[in-house]
Amino acid sequence: MTQPKAADVAPIEIDEPSIDTNLDVDRPWIVLVWNDPINLMSYVTYVLQKVFGYSRDKAESLMLDVHEKGRAVVSNGSKEKAELDVFRLHEHGLWATMQQD
Amino acid sequence: MAFGFKRTIQSKGPDRFIINLRDDLREVIAAVCEDVLGALDDEGAPNRDPMLRRVFPVAHTSDESVNEAYRDLVQSDLLRTRREALERVAASANDAELDRATLETWMIGLNTVRLVLGTRLDVSEDGFPQLEPDDPELPAWALYEFLGVFVGMVVDALARTA
Repeated sequence: MTQPKAADVAPIEIDEPSIDTNLDVDRPWIVLVWNDPINLMSYVTYVLQKVFGYSRDKAESLMLDVHEKGRAVVSNGSKEKAELDVFRLHEHGLWATMQQD
Repeated sequence: MAFGFKRTIQSKGPDRFIINLRDDLREVIAAVCEDVLGALDDEGAPNRDPMLRRVFPVAHTSDESVNEAYRDLVQSDLLRTRREALERVAASANDAELDRATLETWMIGLNTVRLVLGTRLDVSEDGFPQLEPDDPELPAWALYEFLGVFVGMVVDALARTA
């Protein structure tokens, strides 16, 4: 075992990344499902269960939010995850959008 | 007195479904899928045909840069998977039995047809309008209602075996 000599632990200059407080890349994205007059309520519930693995109760409560309030947040995460979630909802014909929270 | 009605979709476990549907309704199912396939015949259709706006919704309510990036990323995949679903439903319309994956494809494919037909009929939350018996839109509304009832049965069969 050796001890580092003093010279070995001399401070090294590191370029600290400058922190831009306006950067909002870390702000999560949310995925919304909007009410529409065509998709059946039972269909929306089943799709939310299938796409997100939600329980029947959770999926049904989200569906009722969509139906009664006009929209509901169904998932959130990075932009890439939101895009994938929107895509999978669109594949099932749900009216889904994404936006930064 | 027993009328002998059978459940339209009988589940035999989670992966086997017997479809009790008359031949003329099976023909309707195949025909409506072919109709919508005809509207999805080229890459530009989603951006051009307003009747398809519910099948290819925007990804953001206001930010066009998000929408453009999303379209570039997924629209051709979305078009391809729509087409594959409709083709698979049309090809299996006469099958007496379906496995779960195929029944889910029926659910998605026939829902796509409802989205296009409902857009054409300008469906609202008010539901079925009052129509005269000779109204030229009556057959389209009848078809829309049939597809709604049938997709509801498909969803119920899938949900009760999930």
